[in-house]
Amino acid sequence: MQPVIQFDDVVKIYPLKAGDVTALNHISFEVMRGEFISIMGPSGSGKSTLLNLMGCLDTPTFGEIFMSGIGVRAMNDMELTKLRRDRIGFIFQYFNLFPLLNVIENVNFPQMLKSGKDVNPDKAKEVLHAVQLEEQLYTHTPSELSGGQQQRVAVARALINDPDILLCDEPTGNLDSKTGASIMDLMTELNKKGATIICVTHDPTVAKYSDRTIRIVDGCIAS
Amino acid sequence: MIFWEIAKRNIRIHMLRSTLAMLGIVIGVVAIASMGILGNSMVATVSESLKSVGDSVIVSPYSGGGGGMGSGGGGGGSSSASLKITDQNYQQIKRVVAPNVATPVYSTSDHMKIGVGSDDIVATMYALPSADVPDIMKLQAGDYNNGNSGCLVGSTFAKDHNLKVGSRISIGTDGSKGTLRVTGIIEERGMSFDISTDNALVVTPEWFENAYNRNKDYDEVVVKVKEGDTATIKTNIEKQLNKHKDNKIVSVTDSKATLSSIYSTFSTVTTFVTAIGGISMVVAGVSIFNIMMMSVNERIKEIGIMRSIGTQKKEVMSMFIYEAAIIGVIGSIIGGILSVLAGYAVSALMLGTTKYLLTTANALSVGEGVSFGIVICLLCGIYPAWQAANLNPIDALRHE
Repeated sequence: MQPVIQFDDVVKIYPLKAGDVTALNHISFEVMRGEFISIMGPSGSGKSTLLNLMGCLDTPTFGEIFMSGIGVRAMNDMELTKLRRDRIGFIFQYFNLFPLLNVIENVNFPQMLKSGKDVNPDKAKEVLHAVQLEEQLYTHTPSELSGGQQQRVAVARALINDPDILLCDEPTGNLDSKTGASIMDLMTELNKKGATIICVTHDPTVAKYSDRTIRIVDGCIAS
Repeated sequence: MIFWEIAKRNIRIHMLRSTLAMLGIVIGVVAIASMGILGNSMVATVSESLKSVGDSVIVSPYSGGGGGMGSGGGGGGSSSASLKITDQNYQQIKRVVAPNVATPVYSTSDHMKIGVGSDDIVATMYALPSADVPDIMKLQAGDYNNGNSGCLVGSTFAKDHNLKVGSRISIGTDGSKGTLRVTGIIEERGMSFDISTDNALVVTPEWFENAYNRNKDYDEVVVKVKEGDTATIKTNIEKQLNKHKDNKIVSVTDSKATLSSIYSTFSTVTTFVTAIGGISMVVAGVSIFNIMMMSVNERIKEIGIMRSIGTQKKEVMSMFIYEAAIIGVIGSIIGGILSVLAGYAVSALMLGTTKYLLTTANALSVGEGVSFGIVICLLCGIYPAWQAANLNPIDALRHE
């Protein structure tokens, strides 16, 4: 079975005036379809760099990353953008919904990027139903929603293009513990339905929901 | 399209800022288009005034200057009083321009009184053969046949002095040159290179020669060109009469060439005033650039989110270009409409007429103003849009 993500001896170096900084040092791991993985580590350990590389927002200095078997290192910006649009769903700590668009429009946004005018009008409602958001909120703007509701919309937006993986950056970091737990329950349910989830977090409670945890320390995998 | 919708909504939520930017464009378009309308109307007004003289060649005595405009306007009695065109020269001109008609013209200015007890006035008088008069001017009242003691008067002169057909005018100080009876009133001719009749009298050569003791020594010769072109006729006259470079006899003015030079000057003036209007458009462009940069800076995080979830650079760019285009198109169209009103007001105030407002040239001026406004907005939106599209998604996502 082909891994959804494969890191093959990946090194990421940031060239700075004060000297090069090695953020990731010879990292190799695989994520199989349907896995729920958490990535933990102290601040400055390289978690965000790892997330950026997994999300195809950046490319490695050395080594190779394969997304469903396709190497990304040689890809140009347009190809990386297309890959992000079609194969990756992002869930951010601060929800990051578009303030000018309502719930349905926010959820439909990636679908519009992918399909242009030929969007499936029912798809957004389906995924919003899947994340258990009340229908009367569909025409509300993000500022009219609670944090938990906004994060549900963000999850729905991440799911709309049927991505290979869901990349979550501290998905409960801006929510109270009860709402955070409900979001993690939702993630678990999505995982049970087949979604591959990678969750970068500081929070051990969040890590408990995952099948396995990758710990990063000083740019290397500690365990 | 979602980016069009986002651009519209962004303008709507920053309505005041967008309206002020639009106002700049409105002012720019109004400045450019209304200046264009004013210039075009000026050209149209002058063209109307000069339309009757476009086919004339005026021959006047050579005074050492460069060409000159004939002695028509100033009349005789000036410093060039001793410079005349002899009958021999006139006959030469007549032969050269045939079959076109060469009309010999006397001119002077003199004191005159209209009616008993009226004020003494000074006016210009022309004398030209009665047979040639209908070729040069038209009458609005009366008859061309003015006999020996009859005269024609210009429309402005008649209006100013309340003259009618049959009125009498005493010529010379205390009527020393005799009395003339008005037999016809000449239609308004406007500005002219040959003879300016609007404020003048036209008398017979016989009466003029007798009153001013003149004998076939003319002040100018007017050739109305009906066959051939004015430039060739001018050259032919010069070849015939100014054979010796150091002893020129006549100055020849081609009214068409002079008109062309006048139109060219007006065109330059129009371009200049339009360019001044263009400065306000540049200022408006700077304002658009400024608000577009503000818009990009305010939305860095949003751009980062868009890019991270798969929005291509060109799509981000299009969103900002749409925003600039909406401001540009709405501002320019409003400006175009207002510029017609401004053009109406400026024409009415400065030219005293608005009859030249609805012309193709003015429509083009408005079109140019509107197009320029839209183009400026798009150009000023390109760099901010490009900057937004090329933000690093990781840095943009981190932006607070």
